[in-house]
Amino acid sequence: MNDAASVDAAPAARKWSRRFAALGQFGISLLPGIVLLVFWQWASGRLIKEIYVSKPTAIAARLYELFASGEIIPHLITTGQELVLGYVIGVAGGVIGGYALGRSPRLARIFEPYVMAFYGIPKIALAPLFIIWFGIGIGSKVALASIMVFFLVFYNVFSGVRSVDRELVNLTLVMGANQRQLTWHVYLPAASPYIILGMRMAIPYSVIGVIVGEFTSSIQGLGLFIHEASSTYDPAGVFAGIILLLGFVLIANFLAGRLERRLLRWKNPTTQPPSDI
Amino acid sequence: MTGQVLAFDGIGQDFATPGSGGRIRVLDGISFDAEPGQFVAVIGPSGCGKSTLLQMAAGLLMPTRGNVKHHGRTIDSVNQAVGFVPQQAQLFPWKTLQENVELPLVLRSVPAEQRRAQVAKAIEAVGLKGFENYYPNQLSGGMQKRGSIARTLVYRPDVILMDEPFGALDAQTRMVMQNDLQTLSAEAGATVIFVTHDITEAVVLADRVVILSQRPSRLLANIAIDLPRPRDVFEPFKNPGFEQAYDAVWSVFRSQIDIRGAH
Repeated sequence: MNDAASVDAAPAARKWSRRFAALGQFGISLLPGIVLLVFWQWASGRLIKEIYVSKPTAIAARLYELFASGEIIPHLITTGQELVLGYVIGVAGGVIGGYALGRSPRLARIFEPYVMAFYGIPKIALAPLFIIWFGIGIGSKVALASIMVFFLVFYNVFSGVRSVDRELVNLTLVMGANQRQLTWHVYLPAASPYIILGMRMAIPYSVIGVIVGEFTSSIQGLGLFIHEASSTYDPAGVFAGIILLLGFVLIANFLAGRLERRLLRWKNPTTQPPSDI
Repeated sequence: MTGQVLAFDGIGQDFATPGSGGRIRVLDGISFDAEPGQFVAVIGPSGCGKSTLLQMAAGLLMPTRGNVKHHGRTIDSVNQAVGFVPQQAQLFPWKTLQENVELPLVLRSVPAEQRRAQVAKAIEAVGLKGFENYYPNQLSGGMQKRGSIARTLVYRPDVILMDEPFGALDAQTRMVMQNDLQTLSAEAGATVIFVTHDITEAVVLADRVVILSQRPSRLLANIAIDLPRPRDVFEPFKNPGFEQAYDAVWSVFRSQIDIRGAH
């Protein structure tokens, strides 16, 4: 038991050296990115015509201009709304559907073949149909994004719930659990690594859904902005739009990472294990 | 039939064999019972259906023939009045030790204040005080096993079903655990049904040893072990009378092992 106590003794000093090391690591990982940007800047106009690849300074200037004039703001808001709504609806549907089918073998036998069949359809091919059903506003993009997110989350949750150890479930029943308590204390936490994995994997797919929807037909949004920039031979505009999309993905990944650390802290506890009995 | 906490009466169990559609008989007419506070060890060759008996007592499996009675009531659904200690510790990896031990009380809607007191007591009883906030993967195998036992003791079931609980532990940890279990079960006053394939363990811990045969299992013998307590689990052969008790069990059990050795 002394081992466990000594773990807490020296953390303050170690914390700083660890932070310093992390900073150095971060600096090193920035390096290839900087090299790429410098090369891009140099090559543009020398190796490749600027009209094809633009250049980092031009893109930066374009981004500044877009925000300064406020031109991009409505596009950002529209795309942001579509992403958030599509993602949330897709995740909610996936978790509920995957959980229900994972818990009930009978439901799974009936519905799994259908889900499988729909899973096989390339969702992008549904874009024109959704435009007809939900119009050219945000509805069709939300639908497309959420259906792409749904299947990923669904399958992860479904297999997560099915993989829950039967013995653990039985044990919890003997301890006094009813079905609702089983859900909260066993099934959901046991499936949470799968749920989180599905949620992380679904982030880029929600962006694909929204952008394909906007490319197909829309009034407003980053997809439309990129589409228009490309049709007016404005590569700086295209890249600016892509960078903004990247921004959405990075923010979403950051939030998902925080959620993951929070919900799955039991998988990688920070303290050292004690040596033995 | 009063005075018996748990009674197995003519238990038979068939399982469907995968593929062929046939049925295989695992248990064939097993009857024995346990009095209050008694420690009953069940031994038998592997695959003879020892664990199946525990599943029935917990109401997780219904016997094909016969029935199990708990305080005279036939068990026909999950039996939440018993405690179950499985082969693996099976602590919930997403809960700390404290939360693990607390869960049965949470499930039973015990008020928070009472929960805290009972959990602290149970954790202290198994010698894990100070590890309340550790997650199971931070604990050693022996400590996890202690946690698993605390999680069962905490709601004071009058019957504790143990399925080869120490099988996966190393020899030293195992003896320490056997010693602690002897104390804990006596303190708790609970009836224990302890499945094992280790004759020494069965004889040194139990008041009675129930011996099952190979599949299809029948009850070969139900032998009382009248050794004084507390018993020395570290040097079992030094307990007065141990040798005779061991011989009594072994003379019945050896026939089952000889058959396996011949093949």
